[in-house]
Amino acid sequence: MAIAPQRPRIYEGTRIPSPIPSVLELPQELRTSDDVLTVNFGPNHPSTHGVLRLVVDLHGEEVVGLAAVIGYLHTGFEKNMEQKSWWKAITYPERIDYVSFQYNELVFVLAIEQLLEVPERATWMRMLLCELTRIHSHLVWLGTAGLELGAISMFWYCFRERDRILDLFELVTGVRMHTRYFQAGGLAEDIPPGFFDECAKFVEVMPKAIDEYEALVDRSQIWLERTQGLGLLSADDAIALGQSGPVLRASGVDWDLRREQPYLVYDRVDFRVPVRQEGDVYARYRVRMEEMRESVRIIDQALRRMPGGPWIADDRKVVLPPREELHTSMESLIHHFKIVTEGYRVPEGEVYVTVESPRGELGCYVVSDGGPKPWRVKFRAPSFVALEATATCMRNALVADLIAIVGSLDTVMGEVDR
Amino acid sequence: MLNYNRVPGLVETREGKGETTLVVDAPRLREAARYLRDELGFNFLSDIAATDYLGWGGKGVSGYIGSAGGRDLNKPSTQGLQRLPRPKPRRFSVSYHLLMLRAGAGTRVRLQVWVDDAEPVPSVVAVWPTADWHEREAWDLFGIRFDGHPNPQRILMDDDWEGHPLRKDYPIGGEPVRFSGEE
Amino acid sequence: MERAVGLTTLEKAVAWAQTKSMWPDTFGLACCAIEMMSIVSSRYDIARFGMEAFRSSPRQADLLIVSGRVVHKMAAPLRQVYDQMLEPKWVIAMGACASSGGMFNNYTTLQGVDKIVAVDIHVPGCPPRPEALMEGIVRLHEKVLAGVPPAYELHGVGC
Repeated sequence: MAIAPQRPRIYEGTRIPSPIPSVLELPQELRTSDDVLTVNFGPNHPSTHGVLRLVVDLHGEEVVGLAAVIGYLHTGFEKNMEQKSWWKAITYPERIDYVSFQYNELVFVLAIEQLLEVPERATWMRMLLCELTRIHSHLVWLGTAGLELGAISMFWYCFRERDRILDLFELVTGVRMHTRYFQAGGLAEDIPPGFFDECAKFVEVMPKAIDEYEALVDRSQIWLERTQGLGLLSADDAIALGQSGPVLRASGVDWDLRREQPYLVYDRVDFRVPVRQEGDVYARYRVRMEEMRESVRIIDQALRRMPGGPWIADDRKVVLPPREELHTSMESLIHHFKIVTEGYRVPEGEVYVTVESPRGELGCYVVSDGGPKPWRVKFRAPSFVALEATATCMRNALVADLIAIVGSLDTVMGEVDR
Repeated sequence: MLNYNRVPGLVETREGKGETTLVVDAPRLREAARYLRDELGFNFLSDIAATDYLGWGGKGVSGYIGSAGGRDLNKPSTQGLQRLPRPKPRRFSVSYHLLMLRAGAGTRVRLQVWVDDAEPVPSVVAVWPTADWHEREAWDLFGIRFDGHPNPQRILMDDDWEGHPLRKDYPIGGEPVRFSGEE
Repeated sequence: MERAVGLTTLEKAVAWAQTKSMWPDTFGLACCAIEMMSIVSSRYDIARFGMEAFRSSPRQADLLIVSGRVVHKMAAPLRQVYDQMLEPKWVIAMGACASSGGMFNNYTTLQGVDKIVAVDIHVPGCPPRPEALMEGIVRLHEKVLAGVPPAYELHGVGC
């Protein structure tokens, strides 16, 4: 077996560039050099995940200057959501992070639900679907990261399981992506029969599939050389730069919102949080693989402990009454009318809710004025913050490493630009 | 419980829905940020959210208001929830969501400053480097200037875009749609 | 002799060749790009149409599948990529956002990519299922085989 390159593993001190933390500037001695080439990566590039533009200064093969330009997918979500009623606005957040779509719905709905009590069944089902979404997100990441580094067959293996997950979503909600299944108060509809059997089959197949992915690349010399020792980020730098999720845990910081500030029913299921100390691309890859295995365990426990009961809260001022009641009860008719035409109202206040999305800490800051429409909705996107760390991770990197490092930060441009 | 009484420039402390909001004076924001990071241990800046309160309480906020516990027929129909929202001190609020990232003891707090149009806010990039892009976004979408920011450029909109889109007096744009109730 | 040799016109032969290996350009923008990636995957397998070779360089691509919302900042790179493609070239506007702006009727989203490029096929959906996109591709193939010229010759931009 060939010798792995002797690259440094983790560093002391800080590598955050100064004065601008997110821009790696040309070193003084190269500013008048003729050998520096400024190259544009993107926005239409096969390997930057989406429409990211990196303006890179190259000295030979080495990256000596880097600036990320974003905004090529800024869709104006937040302003659009201010125009719609609370109910209609739930459709928008899904498309912000379009690879882990249910997390965005979840965080927005949790923010509204600070005033409601949600039934148990809905909470367990939300957790199950969110963990399925986490696996989905990691599979898409692994498939595309493998594709970019040259492990092309990984793409087809990962997307095989990803289609199984999307089949499960279609079974429950009717749509493959952007399911719009979470409602303020619970779920939109009850869980259809047949879902639990299909999900149980998936839970049996998935760990073997993860073994297959690891068999493909984990001991491949090319993969190890292209991922170990690159994109180093120390724990202090990661916290200063606001990193969270797998990037933070791969740098040695033991922090997972599911365990520290539990939401849904994460405090009642048993799962490990993988943490690694090296802070490089390989560590982030391993953290995500372990997370997929832990997600399968959580899904297994949720399947076995799913309670029966109602799937949405009973508060008729927020939730539509069941259709049978409309024939007999006048109040139900009025509630139905009010909710459909005007929308429900959320009392005045501001709230900031966070969840642990596959990319890190996804937060939603909602300000309500007591009216039927949101006053301000702001999403804290973990990929937006992850891109700030590109300049720090990219020190002493070569051109070929650029792709590996940007891929390991697992950015989704819909989130970054919103 | 943490003691927030010695935060420099503290104007008001609000508690609600399990969250603590510390309102500080805008010119003393950097001192307050350093105090919170170094003395109290809030080493993680999660988010900077700017909000425009132009037109707050103006329309559509009174009337049929819901509650978690249902209606009590013996009380008047609005059950005291019918009130106009409390007026805000200035036009813009900038909220810094902070987190004390320590396993087993994480705490969150919101640091808030209130400014008017064209009033600058001190930049906290020197305290938490991650504030770089958050402050650029607040400048781009709201027009709030951050004094001392090393790279105050637009980040999401085109470089030559005019106006600050997320302000309340900026139109939603787009194409008019016939027969639709939305604007 | 008819069993060993095929007789056709030059136009039909060229059209047949164009449809059997119409290489798309990697222009995935947002959520629709994820569904576009899944038609490359083994279940929906676009390789049976000869299209699994997504070319990164627009100069080697025949088909531009605009998958995702196009914002004003991205409109210039999109037009640049479209101009760099060599004729004959076709455009599929995949999804509601590329066709008409989708649910984002606001200051920053282009209300339909046909405002800047000439679109042959619009595929509705948010995002369209992989089968829907394949239907769009099959219809494009039928158009080409029937001799319909590409959109930039037919009606140009803005339709």
